Amino acid sequence: MPNFRIPTPLRPYSGGNSEVKVAGATVGEALNDLTGQYPDLRQHLYDGSDLRSFVNIYLNQEDIRYGDGVETTITENDTLMIIPSIAGGAGWVVD
Amino acid sequence: MLKIDKRLKQEIESHGIAAYPYEGCGLLLGRQVKGGNGRIDNVVTSLFPVANSWEVEEEKRERFLIAPQDMLQAELTAASQGLDIVGIFHSHPDHPPIASPRDVAWAAWPGHSYLITEIRQGQSKQSRSWQLLPDRSGFEEEEVQFM
Repeated sequence: MPNFRIPTPLRPYSGGNSEVKVAGATVGEALNDLTGQYPDLRQHLYDGSDLRSFVNIYLNQEDIRYGDGVETTITENDTLMIIPSIAGGAGWVVD
Repeated sequence: MLKIDKRLKQEIESHGIAAYPYEGCGLLLGRQVKGGNGRIDNVVTSLFPVANSWEVEEEKRERFLIAPQDMLQAELTAASQGLDIVGIFHSHPDHPPIASPRDVAWAAWPGHSYLITEIRQGQSKQSRSWQLLPDRSGFEEEEVQFM
């Protein structure tokens, strides 16, 4: 089964697991399986029904945005990673 | 609590001074260990400085962005060393080291330490650290131990 690597800060929400085996034929199905197994992860990955803007999913170290997004197909030995873009700054204005 | 070696703190300050008047940024690599009262401490053992990837040059005075490609490299580097990414450091040029609404809006995960260093007129001042609340509603300050 494909494997999701869980970032350290999210492991309290994945039962302490650093890796989770997931079912599915696409990245989207794998994400659904992951958040089905560990519903507490969902609040940190999704804003409503969409992935949060800073959440990037990498399939075998390639950003899925450069593939078919969540429709990208996955196979048995694939590794998925959750990689955030981190931003911020001193400005007091949020836009 | 964030625990960080004084030598690494000096490296972060130097990074912020070099980036001035723009914001400098990078990742804190280390381990999460159980502290007192069931608390998780982030213990920093090395740094992974990256470029501020915010696209608009002039806005880098009060904005930073760590590109996902840099984050991926940091994750892979940490894993190869048996470490984790335990936090983010960035500088606030001519602003206090307080987590801003912009920092909150763009923060990623609870559990990371967000170490902010004030660089005023090109000189390093105070550093303070913050963590995103589990409900993502804001930041709370955490104790920093410089070892």
